[in-house]
Amino acid sequence: MMADIVSVERAEAPWWSSAGTIPGLPPIMACIGLLALWEVVARWYGLNGLPPASAALPQIPEILTDKESLIDIADSLRRMVTGFALALIFAVPAGLAMGRSKHVAAFFNPLLMVIYPVPKAALMPIIMLWLGVGDASKTLVIFLGVTLPLIYHSYQGSRAVEEKLLWSAAAMGLSAPARLIRIVLPAALPEILVGCRTGLVLALITMVTSEMIARQTGIGNIIFVSLDLGVYDRVYAMIVIIGALGFILDVIFESMRGRLVAWAEPSQAIVVGTT
Amino acid sequence: MISIDRVSKQFETSRARRHLALSDISLSVARGEFVSILGPSGCGKSTLLYIVGGFVEQSSGAVIVDDNPVTGPGPDRGPVFQEFALFPWKTVLGNVMYGLDQRGMPKDEALARSRELLTMVKLSGYENFYPKELSGGMKQRVAIARTLAYRPNILLMDEPFGALDAHTRTKLQNDLLGIWEKDRKTVLFVTHSVEEAVFLSDRVVMMTSSPGRIKDIIKINLPRPRERAALLLNRRYQDYVVEIEKMMDEQPETRVS
Repeated sequence: MMADIVSVERAEAPWWSSAGTIPGLPPIMACIGLLALWEVVARWYGLNGLPPASAALPQIPEILTDKESLIDIADSLRRMVTGFALALIFAVPAGLAMGRSKHVAAFFNPLLMVIYPVPKAALMPIIMLWLGVGDASKTLVIFLGVTLPLIYHSYQGSRAVEEKLLWSAAAMGLSAPARLIRIVLPAALPEILVGCRTGLVLALITMVTSEMIARQTGIGNIIFVSLDLGVYDRVYAMIVIIGALGFILDVIFESMRGRLVAWAEPSQAIVVGTT
Repeated sequence: MISIDRVSKQFETSRARRHLALSDISLSVARGEFVSILGPSGCGKSTLLYIVGGFVEQSSGAVIVDDNPVTGPGPDRGPVFQEFALFPWKTVLGNVMYGLDQRGMPKDEALARSRELLTMVKLSGYENFYPKELSGGMKQRVAIARTLAYRPNILLMDEPFGALDAHTRTKLQNDLLGIWEKDRKTVLFVTHSVEEAVFLSDRVVMMTSSPGRIKDIIKINLPRPRERAALLLNRRYQDYVVEIEKMMDEQPETRVS
């Protein structure tokens, strides 16, 4: 049935979709198109705050070879990795427990509902009052940003675990805690990894915004110091670097995810085109 | 030996309403006996099986298996579900070995036993496949092998062939009977198919719905080993099927809530 539908759609697909048969071509075309648009618009308006792509892009190798900027980028990535790791350690067990216990869910759910709509960066000034402007407060903001999607997807994944799977394991003699680790965790893994992917993007966003508020080191620091100095081509070069960073992280993550949950039924897999 | 003693089960459907799924069920199943529980959907037959498995707790009454009251699931009672319930992240071999690892069997011994079982359910060669790569019939074969692997005394089968097409279904019935006739485990088999119940069982327990009660228990006096093709022409088999179908028709239609 499904195969029939797919083949029919293919037969009726318009000519330009044949570009999809060459892997990697559409995203490259999109990038070139965006750069061209940027170049044209910047030259057309001639704004001081919008340098053309041809002026901004040459800044990228300069930033990437400059020792101080590299230290800034490394600082940012270190905080991002720490915040993400802490969120994983906290959110996955919490989400899995929520999915299996009504009491745990009833405890965490209202908390999450309250915290969810609050922009995490808006908490930054308050957190800075507690923890200062250093690594701790920035890492905490990243942690908060990543925790929510991660806890939510772990919860959904855990709740959706088929009861008969747990019963089969119970009949084999697995205790309740063993079932949580050895049955619920792997069964929910496809959904948890969906949360991780969203979390990765949010980690990048909260990382930059936290550095925008508490400027000291980091990628956000480079952007906003350059902005203050009016070095706009450097600002745009840095934005391109952040975009590229997000893209690379996502590609790496997706290839890892593909290998980890290759066993998942198609219904469990998410289809989001990246490359 | 399973002894079900005056078991009732009430579900709370909402604050004020209670649904009596099982009312005062008593039944005993002898060691090595193949007993089917037959009834319309919603009569609580699966619930009764889950109570024997220890997966669901009864509201009153007791289930005693080999002199021990049932308080939870245990490896002496192996379930096989309509939904297969295979571990999707494990290969076919990994699924069959899961219970053996859990019981602490040495790796090479577990491997040998799993391979032997996969041969028995006619799936050798599929060791490294993942469940998603298998058809429904093959998945259920794996599930049966996985449960048989840890040697439960009792098999609890919950409409195991209900999700399969007619052809696969008869093939699996034949194979199950072949496997069972070799080592004669106690089997409690839930189904809504009259032919399936008569073909497989020593006794057929008929249930009515709302509340779930035992209506009648019919002993199936057909020689073993049974062969499907021969049975279909057997007058006594036909009489059993017709008689039981008639009794099923006497029941009022189940209200679907």
